[in-house]
Amino acid sequence: MKHLLLRLEPLIWLMFGQGILIGTILLTGWLIVFGVALPFGWVGFEDGQALDYSRAYGLASNFVGQAVLLALIALPLWKGAHHLRHLSLDHGGADYDPVVALSLYAIAAGGSIAALLAVIRL
Amino acid sequence: MAGASHPGAMAPPIPGPTRTAPPRKPASWPSHPRMRVYTLFGLTGIVYLVLGFLCLRIVWALGQGEAAWDTTMASMSNPFYIAFHWVSLLSVIFVGVRFFRLFPKAQPARIGPLKPPPRSLILVMLYCVWIGVTALFVAILMGGLFR
Amino acid sequence: MSDSTKKFVITRFDPDKDEEVRTQTYEIPVQSDWKVLDAINFIKDEIDGTLSHRWSCRMAVCGSCGMMVDGEPKLTCKTALASYGDTVRIEPLANFPTVRDLVVEMDGFMDKFKSVKPWIIRAKEQAAEEGTYRQTPDELQAFKQFSMCINCMLCYSACPVVANEPEFLGPAAIALGHRYNMDSRDEGAAERNEVFRGEGTVFSCSYANECSEVCPKNVDPAAAVNQAKFNAVVDWTTQLVLPRGEE
Repeated sequence: MKHLLLRLEPLIWLMFGQGILIGTILLTGWLIVFGVALPFGWVGFEDGQALDYSRAYGLASNFVGQAVLLALIALPLWKGAHHLRHLSLDHGGADYDPVVALSLYAIAAGGSIAALLAVIRL
Repeated sequence: MAGASHPGAMAPPIPGPTRTAPPRKPASWPSHPRMRVYTLFGLTGIVYLVLGFLCLRIVWALGQGEAAWDTTMASMSNPFYIAFHWVSLLSVIFVGVRFFRLFPKAQPARIGPLKPPPRSLILVMLYCVWIGVTALFVAILMGGLFR
Repeated sequence: MSDSTKKFVITRFDPDKDEEVRTQTYEIPVQSDWKVLDAINFIKDEIDGTLSHRWSCRMAVCGSCGMMVDGEPKLTCKTALASYGDTVRIEPLANFPTVRDLVVEMDGFMDKFKSVKPWIIRAKEQAAEEGTYRQTPDELQAFKQFSMCINCMLCYSACPVVANEPEFLGPAAIALGHRYNMDSRDEGAAERNEVFRGEGTVFSCSYANECSEVCPKNVDPAAAVNQAKFNAVVDWTTQLVLPRGEE
């Protein structure tokens, strides 16, 4: 397991780095809309409003929308998984790191595959 | 000193002739301001992991049809979701600020014949992209653009 | 003439007598312009000759006198005593096994150091008649900062990854390997990147940046390690497309 992790590490680090960079840049706007504007009623999802189903679907179902949504979902998962692995290592988890790492990366991989399915079916 | 380091930390390849005392972590660590920021930075991993799956939930609902979409949007007013999104927004800003501060110096000195711009310019560019993309996202999703 | 007195709580460990580390407190007169090393030398010279510690140049170029001062890794020859209160805690460098008192086991560091092959590697040496290897100022600037390391090991004491992952190469070793990778005279990047992606992988670095915070020579090892990560990714990608043959 340790050898497998070493071989995959450059790719995982790349996705982790992009998770911080691109994930942070994309998530800020997303959170402002879905976390602040929507609950406070500054934007709505009823028919004719900015986030109604037909408009949301139209924005999301083209190539650009799909790529953005895939990045928005998948990249933060890798950032989260990698950082939690390091948190475990920082608190004495070196001896069971292979199990922790593979579990976390499996969650991120599973989420990324689900993200791909979610955007493809749009 | 603070807690023990890993017993093998900085161990010699061949043990020396005398017994050694085991390595220990710096005493300043648990409470040092920089280490607290570093630990907090790592803890945002939980936020990003959960956030990724919450975003997945929203996009999945979009693919399931109008009824699922409306139900999911209505659920965003749940106090738990609002609280989590506020914590997430603060986390994302914290991550961005810390990471952007460290990003410029991690760039290679040269990529082929090309040299990267000065570090201060990289920092300005990063913030411009961050603010610009955020503004564009908000404008699009709130109906200001592509209405 | 002394200006005041201070207490020094110093870690002691004699492998022949002590089961574990203990502390011993010395109260001594100090001068206002003293460095921490001056106080330690005073204690050894005037009070307790059994106290063991490393030091040499007294001017922050040899890297010998690294110790923990009030919980932070410092070069004691460069650290002003006036910055501290009435009681100063002095311990051996964190994350290293202690040989005796304030002296730490360095062989682990030397082993990691050698593993990154810190010398110019060339497929074929240039003949003497061809003259010296020439380098532009730009080419020198690409690595010069990382060549200023004095191997004081403060960065290893500050690094949370060194504390928890014994195989990690560590800031100074990676910075030095990166220094040679960035040197235009060197042709050994492929060999070093194998080491950088091996057991001591550069990707273990979690960019705490503590190494750069404590570095007394502004080497900025965190920058070197993270640049090395980028280069290692490029090397890994290149190898996927164009695998290197066995040598």
